[in-house]
Amino acid sequence: MGIFQVLCMVMLLHVGSVWSADPVWFGSQDNTRVLHVNSTMDLASFEPILKVFVALHPDIKVAYRDVNTLDLYHLTIDQHKQPQASLVISSAMDLQLKLVNDGYAQTYQSNFTERLPSDFRWRHQVFAFSLEPVVMLVNTEVFPGDLPEDRQSLLQTIRQNESIMTQRIGTYDIRQSGVGYLLASQDARQADVTWGRLLEAFGSHQVRTYCCTHEMIDDVASGELVLGYNLLGSYASQRARDDKRLKMILPKDYTLMLMRTALIPKQAPNPQDAGLFLDFLLSDSAQKMMQTQGLLFPIRPDANIPNDPYVVSAPGPTGVIELDQQLLVGRDYAKQKRFIRNWEMALEISELVP
Amino acid sequence: MWQTSLNQPNLSEEEEKKALARAPSLRFRFIVAGVLVIGVIAGLAINLIFDYSQKLADLSYDRLLRSALLQMDENVGLIRNEVSIDIPWSAFATLAQAEEDRVFYKVESLEQGFITGYQDLNSFPPRFPVLDEIQFYNQAYSGEMVRFAWVQRNIIDAETAQTIRIILGQTRLSREAMAASITRKAVEVVVLIALVAITLIIIGSHLVLRPLHRIGRALEDRAVGDLTPIDINTPKETHHLKVAINHFMARLQTNLAQLENYTADAAHQLRTPLASLKALAENARDIGNSDHYSPEKQRQALENIVKQCDTLNQTVTLLLNQAVVSHRLQTHRLALMDLLVPVTESCREQALVALRQGVHLSLECDLKESLILGDRFSIQQMMQNLIENAVRYSGQDSAAPKEVIVQVMAFDLFYRIKVIDHGDGIPDSEKERVFERFYRGRYDVAGSGVGLSMVRDIVNHHSARVKILNTVPKGTTFQVDFAKHRFDGDDQ
Repeated sequence: MGIFQVLCMVMLLHVGSVWSADPVWFGSQDNTRVLHVNSTMDLASFEPILKVFVALHPDIKVAYRDVNTLDLYHLTIDQHKQPQASLVISSAMDLQLKLVNDGYAQTYQSNFTERLPSDFRWRHQVFAFSLEPVVMLVNTEVFPGDLPEDRQSLLQTIRQNESIMTQRIGTYDIRQSGVGYLLASQDARQADVTWGRLLEAFGSHQVRTYCCTHEMIDDVASGELVLGYNLLGSYASQRARDDKRLKMILPKDYTLMLMRTALIPKQAPNPQDAGLFLDFLLSDSAQKMMQTQGLLFPIRPDANIPNDPYVVSAPGPTGVIELDQQLLVGRDYAKQKRFIRNWEMALEISELVP
Repeated sequence: MWQTSLNQPNLSEEEEKKALARAPSLRFRFIVAGVLVIGVIAGLAINLIFDYSQKLADLSYDRLLRSALLQMDENVGLIRNEVSIDIPWSAFATLAQAEEDRVFYKVESLEQGFITGYQDLNSFPPRFPVLDEIQFYNQAYSGEMVRFAWVQRNIIDAETAQTIRIILGQTRLSREAMAASITRKAVEVVVLIALVAITLIIIGSHLVLRPLHRIGRALEDRAVGDLTPIDINTPKETHHLKVAINHFMARLQTNLAQLENYTADAAHQLRTPLASLKALAENARDIGNSDHYSPEKQRQALENIVKQCDTLNQTVTLLLNQAVVSHRLQTHRLALMDLLVPVTESCREQALVALRQGVHLSLECDLKESLILGDRFSIQQMMQNLIENAVRYSGQDSAAPKEVIVQVMAFDLFYRIKVIDHGDGIPDSEKERVFERFYRGRYDVAGSGVGLSMVRDIVNHHSARVKILNTVPKGTTFQVDFAKHRFDGDDQ
């Protein structure tokens, strides 16, 4: 079975449900300039930004579709001849980079993209507009003993509290979540041994897997889960801010830093307005808004605000996931197949049957 | 003698400027030739640089590609008789050094088929595949030109043997950027060198031609009649020009001096007979008034005047003839003619004059025709001078037989004319000098001193030879040899 047949099957599985979802509209319905945005980001985090954008450009209306990272990747490829969306925003950096590498994105250059440090863009086709930590989220009320400060102490806690921890750790299902796969593969790359032991511990304690961040956070908040592993910092910090039981932990051994990126598909119907929106995301006002309103982690946060959780002060080293060709390795067909099989075996999950 | 342009080019200043503008410029040619040569060389250099920078960029980035390919190759293994590859992150970190370049790859096994990567990549390199030998080549893929590295090798363990093939490609952006930056630098240097060279040529041309201008100015600034040599310091290359100009001026000076002498002498030649003519006439007038008047005496005095007039007439004719001959020699080209015609003609003319002086002139010639290249008038003048000369110097000694013989003989290559007299002869010491202008062997014999120098001019002009021999027992023989005209030659 070739890779394309696999892809087609995955497409058939997921695209149907995505397609039925209606977009959320911003701006006057009478406007003729329409910008379709496909994004993996929760609308809650993005809504204020979109509102400001349509206020700045009253003649544009924006259709915003929230799509799962893996679905978004396949959708973009499927529609590459006649894409509906003019801007594709995703936290799965590896899939975004692969779209660019495989020639699905177009070049865009403006004063804003030129100002961006070269680490935060590739080929002038994919641009990062936020940089957030990957965290553990704990429910302090149900967590046994001291809160873990790194992966080692998490392993220790699991071993010492086997009954409490069983079925009460949540993480991404790397088969369904693109960003989940990215984070797992980066973990394996950063610290192969620790990752192996962690996976083993997850497996022996019947870890629960989630497709999406929200459900996982909900379960941590309700106390059903003690800990969520490898969550996106922006979502976790939003909930931790409002819910005192929740505590966001940046692992001390290393903290992965993830970029959210945007690209314009090659045949995009409205690349001008997509560029406008991208420029807006990179603009100082939007970046500042992300920080002050607690929406996202901006690329260069204003460090003058004291005790701001959006200024990342990791206790240990940070491992910024680099936006370059190395990301292709993680998405290598053979490597991906092996990695998922190992993951399934370790977690003692039977193969996902479509 | 004097050669001048026929239509005197007395150009106005404006016409001279026009002529200057039309004239080809040495400096311009020099600069144009230099710029062309430099341009061609610079063009070749830039062409080479383009080629070289491409090769250099490929060489350096091919190293990255090779390194990444080898890292991939190292991680190919057999698991349960199946080929598998675990691409190391470092392999692509190596490729990421070409920051903006897309990466494509394919791993396949001849037995197992596609393993991983981009399935639609072309598996076959342009050159004949050799096991374990990495091939690099450019091929279009996904809308861009891609540099591929290709390798194929056998992988063997106890149970299976398979042939795997790895194709790894990278777009050419970084290579082109590197090549462009090398090229730009090198082209800048080449252009700079070319500009410096052109500037040097322009300055050099000015410096090289400056001595010529200096010589020109030195000549231009001279006072009228200043014929002294140029004594400005000039480089070796213009030394010859300076020397030539100085020689030319020296010749001019000699010619001018000759002309001056000639004019003075001609005046002298005319003045002396005129003065004596006047004296004779006064004498004849005074005889009538004196006490010793007799018709016999007066007739004698008038006879003297007539004689003196004849002499003067001869002198003037000679001078005029000389002027005509020298003009003809300058302006008339030599033509095919019969040498016998002027010789016979002059003998006929002179025979009576000679007889009057008691000299018998005879022509001895057996030839029917004798063709040479020459000027008839000049040769006739030459013969006339030689015969007159011979007759004049024959009559001094009344005892000797008064006879002048003209002989024409044919030899293989030339005709020889001999004019033989039996006068007193010319001493050997004077034989060389008789041809000098105004030289006169004996002042007691009438003569102008220009006749034989004219003979020499005519002989020289015809490339003939003249010799003065002694007649036996006494007397002088003038011998002139004219080259025969040969029809087979290309001398027309």
